[in-house]
Amino acid sequence: MTLTRRGFTAGVAAGLAAPYIIGSARAQSGGTIKIGMCAPITGPAAEAGKYATGGAKLAVEAINKAGGVLGKQLELIIEDDQITNPGIVLAFSKLAAQPDIVGFLGSIRSTQVHAMAPDVMKLGKPVMFGGTDPNLTKLGNPWLFRFRPNDSYSGRVIADYGVKTLGKKKWAVLHSTDAFGTAGGKALTEALGKLDATIAIDQGYANQSQDFTPVVLAIKQSGADILGSYFTFENDLGIFARQLRQLGVNIPWVGSPSIVNVTALKLAGPALYGTYGVADYAEESTPGAKAFGKAYREAYKVAPDNQSSWPFDAVNVLALAIKNAGSTDPQKIREAIVAIKKYPGAEGEYNFDKNGDGLHGYNIVKNDKGNIVFDKHIEFDD
Amino acid sequence: MDLVLQLLFTGIGIGAVYALVALGFVLIFRATNVVNFAQGEFSMVAAYIMVVCAVDLALPYWLSFIIALAGMAVVGLVFNLGVYYPLRHRTYLPVIIATIGASILMANGVLALYGPQPQVLPGWFETPGIQLGPVYLDSQYLLIIAVTVVLVIFNYWFFEHTMLGKKLQATSQDKEMASLLGISVSTMIMITFIYSAVLGGLAGLLVAPLLFVSIQMGSTIALKAFAATIIGGFGDVAGAIIGGLALGIIETFGAAYISVPYKDGFAFLVLVLFLVFRPQGIFGERVAEKA
Repeated sequence: MTLTRRGFTAGVAAGLAAPYIIGSARAQSGGTIKIGMCAPITGPAAEAGKYATGGAKLAVEAINKAGGVLGKQLELIIEDDQITNPGIVLAFSKLAAQPDIVGFLGSIRSTQVHAMAPDVMKLGKPVMFGGTDPNLTKLGNPWLFRFRPNDSYSGRVIADYGVKTLGKKKWAVLHSTDAFGTAGGKALTEALGKLDATIAIDQGYANQSQDFTPVVLAIKQSGADILGSYFTFENDLGIFARQLRQLGVNIPWVGSPSIVNVTALKLAGPALYGTYGVADYAEESTPGAKAFGKAYREAYKVAPDNQSSWPFDAVNVLALAIKNAGSTDPQKIREAIVAIKKYPGAEGEYNFDKNGDGLHGYNIVKNDKGNIVFDKHIEFDD
Repeated sequence: MDLVLQLLFTGIGIGAVYALVALGFVLIFRATNVVNFAQGEFSMVAAYIMVVCAVDLALPYWLSFIIALAGMAVVGLVFNLGVYYPLRHRTYLPVIIATIGASILMANGVLALYGPQPQVLPGWFETPGIQLGPVYLDSQYLLIIAVTVVLVIFNYWFFEHTMLGKKLQATSQDKEMASLLGISVSTMIMITFIYSAVLGGLAGLLVAPLLFVSIQMGSTIALKAFAATIIGGFGDVAGAIIGGLALGIIETFGAAYISVPYKDGFAFLVLVLFLVFRPQGIFGERVAEKA
């Protein structure tokens, strides 16, 4: 077959026109309900981003297979937020410019949610997020909904477990100096204060440190008998964990969720054996968590962690709210989300309060030679 | 005292890492008057080659090491031909921007090929370290310090006592004069790029077991190494080493005795002080701006 100039032109024209023709055909048949998602596709957290988009896609596929929402299929539109604040502001503005997107998934990083919050307020559409800085749902912004327990709970759970279950009262508190770490460290010290524990040392560190020797030595010298930590990035956690063991510090360690995520376990290896972590997602904790774990494993051949469980729940809850509201009107979706009680998600049982917090407790898990074992769930009703 | 010794060891160890990368900066700057902002990415690329060979393909460690360094020689050659050579008759600015572009390309190229997962690379030694009295000596840091010492000696010998080294020096001092004396300037510059890529790669292979292998591992170290180069005096080999070590020690002690969160701040505060009070660095000579 020879390709003539006319044939080539016709082919190119048909190729260029095809998406528009298909697109308009789809629009005529009722179209889709669009959900926007900001996730780190590139940059230092691209690994976590794969888990996040994987969780969200899993929920979208399951909902669509079951017939969609309000007779329409869900469509997920993902923008790269590069895990940076400017990145997420740009990603969100790209998504916000599409008027047919009815709801959004924001970030698991609190500092990014802070960065996008003013634009969320201006847009006036519901945004689901996973950042755990307690202040995020106290900004007076009615459009933010949290799909992980906030750090006032993680701090209380770490303190509760360390003091009451492990019986340790002299604490070293170590936290990143970003929004997440600062809020977490504060929540932990406050919770410890209420349990009459003493703070031997309260130490912040900057993200992406190449060396933690001064921190480890300070903890060693403080004479603390237990360590509570809030690490943002797994490579920091890995370097710290190894140096901690090398310099002979073997006190019990209860960490924020990053201490039990898949990447941290791989990087730190034996240095994290025997540590405890608060985990919003623990596969053995509830039937909902088990079902999600099974589905995720089947789809992606790896075990999920909290990076993927919250977007999974967020898409499901958003779809449920749209269904309950019978509409994609933002105000009606908001009312429907706040009305959700006892929803069994992968992260736990969702009972939304007026601030937009869906979860109110945490699981404690133990690193048993690299296997994460569910220990107990601690729930608060205030 | 125990504390001081432990901090000193760590400071020297981390400083030696900066020094190794800074050395690559200096060599290219001397040869071309250009700062190569892709120097950190050389470290990252080498570490990924090492992971592919030693972990994924399970080749012997020493063989993987040689393959990674040989790979870096090729990267240096391609870098010279693709980034520097086409722009060699332009001012330094387009070249610098081209190196920034190349660094973005390398980082995202590796991301596309290998994916975003940070990787673990085992160290050279089975034993993670030794306890010497009150001080714990990490075996990988010991290796890094040893390699730095060897390289300092090697560089001195190479540049001062070999014909090739002298030709390279001549080229860096005055390209026109060197070329009049029959030295092939473009070959000398090509050798410099290859050597710098291998040096950067070596730094990457040595720090990978400590800081893990990730896409951004190069850029974090390179920023400090760049500061070390300025403190030492741009274009001076000894200066780069001293600058790197000084930076490592300053930030480690600053973190221990003043503030951990501002650790990076100390390094850059020293940089600013140098830029204000001694812009030519410790060993640099005061020169008029190069045209």
